[in-house]
Amino acid sequence: MSEVRKTYKMFLGNEFVRSESGRTYSLEQGKEIVELPQASKKDVRDAVSVAKKGYQSWSGLTPYNRAQVLYRLSEMIEGRKELYIKVLKEFGVKDSEAKKDVKDAIEALVWYAGLSDKWEQVSGNLNPVAGPYFNISHQEPLGVSFIFPRDNVSLKSFLLSILPPLCVGCSVICISQESGVLAILLAEDIHNSDLPPGTLNILTGSYSNIIEDISRHVEIRGVGVSEDFNNDSFTTIQSNGSDSVKRTFILNESLNLLSLNPFLETKTVWHPKGK
Amino acid sequence: MVEKWSYSSSIESSDIVSIEKKYGHFINGSFVSPKSKRYFDSISPSTEDLLSQVSFGNKADINLAVSSAREGFKTWQKVKPIDRSKYLFKIARLIQERSREFAVLESMDGGKPIRESRDVDLPQVSANFFYYAGWADKLDLSWGSVGLKPYGVAGQIIPWNFPLLMLAWKVAPALATGNSVVLKPAETTPLTALLFAEVCVEAGLPDGVFNLVTGDGETGAFLVDHVDVDKVAFTGSTNVGKQIQSSIAGSKKGLTLELGGKAANIVYEDASIDQAVEGVVNGIFFNQGHVCCAGSRLLIQESIQDEFIEKLERRMQQLRVGDPLDKNTDIGAINSKQQLEKISELVESGVSDGGAIYQPECELPGNGFWFKPTLFTDVQPAYRIAREEIFGPVLTTISFRTPEEAVEIANNTEYGLSAGIWSEKGSKILWTADNLDAGVVWANTFNKFDPSSPFGGYKESGFGREGGRHGLLSYLKEKK
Repeated sequence: MSEVRKTYKMFLGNEFVRSESGRTYSLEQGKEIVELPQASKKDVRDAVSVAKKGYQSWSGLTPYNRAQVLYRLSEMIEGRKELYIKVLKEFGVKDSEAKKDVKDAIEALVWYAGLSDKWEQVSGNLNPVAGPYFNISHQEPLGVSFIFPRDNVSLKSFLLSILPPLCVGCSVICISQESGVLAILLAEDIHNSDLPPGTLNILTGSYSNIIEDISRHVEIRGVGVSEDFNNDSFTTIQSNGSDSVKRTFILNESLNLLSLNPFLETKTVWHPKGK
Repeated sequence: MVEKWSYSSSIESSDIVSIEKKYGHFINGSFVSPKSKRYFDSISPSTEDLLSQVSFGNKADINLAVSSAREGFKTWQKVKPIDRSKYLFKIARLIQERSREFAVLESMDGGKPIRESRDVDLPQVSANFFYYAGWADKLDLSWGSVGLKPYGVAGQIIPWNFPLLMLAWKVAPALATGNSVVLKPAETTPLTALLFAEVCVEAGLPDGVFNLVTGDGETGAFLVDHVDVDKVAFTGSTNVGKQIQSSIAGSKKGLTLELGGKAANIVYEDASIDQAVEGVVNGIFFNQGHVCCAGSRLLIQESIQDEFIEKLERRMQQLRVGDPLDKNTDIGAINSKQQLEKISELVESGVSDGGAIYQPECELPGNGFWFKPTLFTDVQPAYRIAREEIFGPVLTTISFRTPEEAVEIANNTEYGLSAGIWSEKGSKILWTADNLDAGVVWANTFNKFDPSSPFGGYKESGFGREGGRHGLLSYLKEKK
């Protein structure tokens, strides 16, 4: 009997699922050809419905709690570091680069985990209004966000795309084609990391037949794309997104506070002071 | 029925204002005749008298203004930050000095009561320039050590409800952050913006840094779509905002939108009732209700509904509708005939849907555009008057039983600009504020504004903030 072979499934609402359409696409992994689900329009709608619940749970946790969950994810990845490196190499990444990629990915996770309970102290503030009022601007997560990470077989780059929204309490749906195997590997660690179901949802396959639905879905509040994203597709997202005044933006894939801004809504609260 | 107190009128003199018969666009530091060779009338909505004729901006006018702004941007970049700061401080001072003139002109051109243009609009206008003046040389302190830079040429389109104040909200942060500006004021209220151009000359602002093209929506569309505009900032209706968002899709232009609203003003049973009545009146009748953040949906807790409505109606009976230049006036003229028709149509739909209407007895002047302060009770959440932005002095009332229900009703709208909460219980206020989808929440107050206080919406009320440190980000992008 030969070795047991893994079936790759998408990750929606903490469950591993095939595409409702039954369609798949192939990737070359080392000497093998693997099949992954090709996400359909119905899968997008399903993802949004679980991501809405995920948003309620994830944004409802305390920032300290979210920080611990993200930190736990870094622990999980650390434990399976060798597997990630092996898979990266099977997709053509050089040994030294694969090791560095996983190390950087873990460090990005630790960085954002530690930011979860601090960003609001830096990005919000009291406003010195000219009158007897307490006036504060603080920030809240945007809601369900759809992310198109760079599709370049890098764990670090994948995480740098999805960590800013997760850090501030958004739930995320993302799609991965060329790095689908890596994304599903990550899903397994997410599954073990106490992220509430629906917080992070991973679709696989090409986005070309679902981009209309993503851009027009009113319950997706923001769409972020990587810098190398196809310009025509981004135009479609921005144009269709205007129906619901959707926030659309190019992701800042670096470790700084500005990466969080697109995922935040600023709320300013006034109250009089007096006796 | 409570009698309205008699009073003597106290009319602010309009002698202080001198209005030209015709105005050109303000481009590259001077007034120029329109390439379009077309002019349109600017009338007073309270008398329907012709005030002036202003230029209609066509594509050629916009091209000229944008290329002037491109040069202006280069000039402005060479000006030291401390000097940019000084120009803006000077503009703030000049506006303070000519404040009365601006206020009278604002009331004549737009119809708002002089009490408001004098005590709210103008002080806020100069305060905005003063506030952002101080940021111009401190941008590196605003968002930590991260590198930010101006977009370049900002195309700005502003509405007619707070003409000069919206100019200040747009122009002050844009210039402070090092952008140059092409501004398109609203069709019905261009006059104070034209006077502001004179102030820029007086302040010695370098040519091309601030440019002004008058016109209508068509002019605005030319500005938005111009390839050499790097950043678009729009305040106005949600429909037009969506069109703008769609038309610049894929262009890499920066965009901020400050759109419509349908704010809930929630009154809990433990509120200080008299205070809340005043706040609700201010929330909806301020500036004839021509306010995107107006508290147009009153949500009252069931147990106090009857008492509250009775007090509210009594208070509404005291409101004085009339001449905007009369210092006693609470509610001035509706900004335009078109807006009056829109309000009337929506109010008629409220009546035919089955809402109970209350309007105080009051005499309205003969000429001009007027609408009585209006209260609807027995309103179902599905009625058009409970869902659509009326942008007039019309308040709809819905009752609720629990805080959860209040929040659910409040958030059940595509808008998310502002909200009000009235309660004497701190924990309830904070819980409610946390759960409302609104960019500005006023607790035990309403319609308060300050240059240091960020303003802007959630959901379909737009994105980006104006005011405060957060407002700087609307005009800065990351250095790459």
